[in-house]
Amino acid sequence: MGRARTGLQILDSWLGGGFEKPSTILFFSDHPTERRLFAEQFVTTGLKEGERCLYVDFYRAPALARRDLRKFGPFPEDRLVFVDGTSSQLLIPSSERYIVHSLDTFDEIMDTIEGAVRDAKPERIVIDSMEFLADRFSSEGLFERWRKLSEVTKSTGSVVCYMFLNWLYGQKEVRRMDESNDYTVEFQSKVRTGILEHYMRIRDHRPGKRATNWIPLTFREVVGLSVYFPRILVTGPPDAGKSTVVQKLCQSAMSVDQLGTTVAFDYGNVHVSGLEAEIFGTPGQERFEFIFQIFARQVNGVLLVVDSTREEDLPRAKQILKIVGSDVPLVILANKVDLGGAMGPERIRESLSLAPTVPVVPTVATEGKGLLEGLTLLAEQLVGAR
Amino acid sequence: MISGFREGSLVGIEGDLATAMESLRRLADVVAVAVARRDGLIIAHILPKSSDPKKVAAMCAALVGTSELAARELNQGRFLQSIVEAEEGKVISTGAGERALLVTIVRPDASMGLVLLSIERAAKEVEVILSGI
Repeated sequence: MGRARTGLQILDSWLGGGFEKPSTILFFSDHPTERRLFAEQFVTTGLKEGERCLYVDFYRAPALARRDLRKFGPFPEDRLVFVDGTSSQLLIPSSERYIVHSLDTFDEIMDTIEGAVRDAKPERIVIDSMEFLADRFSSEGLFERWRKLSEVTKSTGSVVCYMFLNWLYGQKEVRRMDESNDYTVEFQSKVRTGILEHYMRIRDHRPGKRATNWIPLTFREVVGLSVYFPRILVTGPPDAGKSTVVQKLCQSAMSVDQLGTTVAFDYGNVHVSGLEAEIFGTPGQERFEFIFQIFARQVNGVLLVVDSTREEDLPRAKQILKIVGSDVPLVILANKVDLGGAMGPERIRESLSLAPTVPVVPTVATEGKGLLEGLTLLAEQLVGAR
Repeated sequence: MISGFREGSLVGIEGDLATAMESLRRLADVVAVAVARRDGLIIAHILPKSSDPKKVAAMCAALVGTSELAARELNQGRFLQSIVEAEEGKVISTGAGERALLVTIVRPDASMGLVLLSIERAAKEVEVILSGI
């Protein structure tokens, strides 16, 4: 059986390539959030890979939904099929292949959806949304037909996303929903110091249950969703290559440097395969410790750069690690490995008394070698894969 | 006190720097003066005992570096000077040639016309003195 990719590499690798085909996913939130963006991303990723997708929409006219989906970039439109659940509410004619003609009878609605699934045999399905139905019909009947729908989608080999914004069910029903699906993707939006932040986490309910951490997300038109880390710190002893790391990692970085020394900070934004991060490089000299204190607040993770040819710098690196603290995700970039006399990763690990879980990645920052690997390993820690 | 630069007649330079700083320091509004390398190492200073010259040098290097970049990024032309206004005084960091900075701390109600003119002159002197090394 294949996998349904999310288009966010870091999540796909956590999922072992994507959501299993077939499977059922609950897209759950307690408050209005950006969960629809993730569903749309999921659908457009499938479409771009040539899969057939079925979108059941009770909130937006299909034309409107298509326009929203185009924000994720162009896709083959003929592979996207709608179950039109709005035209009958608005009393307007519909030219969609599948139409919910009346919202009066629950069974008729579900028959229409099941019929569309059997007929179109889509690889991906989004039901937008189950709370629309839960609002109108009793929970017992709903759960029963929901289960049947999942049987149908499994028989057609589909991955189905059930969107559910919970404002009426208690813990018991929520647990029941979790248990009857293979995955739950939860969404949260928080306002922190005036900035609206979006988070998600994936819980895998299949045998060997596991879950990601809460993962921050950001959205850009055409690009779609990305896992987003607002502050990754690049630090280390002087002359280790920190500024070079920031400059090679980021498309356009800026460095406040004088006479070859960073006197304030380096800053850059990196955006690769569904991962976006703001990268801050610190000075290495001890006299700039006050700058370090400014940038070391609220960091998501740390890339510690060391010069592999200079064992005498490792005590300073160790001192920096102490300031950073032990609860921050960490990756060591063992830089300048192309130079003669470079220490091996194990020697560095030993000297810095690193936990076995901390990756030590050999890099050549001037050539950009190993940097993305280091960032990816850090992102995996942040997501909770390691 | 001198550090950082390698060769030249150090004693003479030390004396020249002291003279340049002292003539600025003589203004009633000027509280303290320091000369630092742009990468944040202290060269010479007349600072009160309460302030650590190493920290002053590093902080002003960071301020100037950041201000220079800000001026460039925001399309405001060449950086001239950074002035930090605080309740109890102003910290004025001025470029003194390619490699050095002149840091001047003045009283909050200082007559800025005179102070800025004197700083400009002193910065040029410092530049000339250090260009000899």
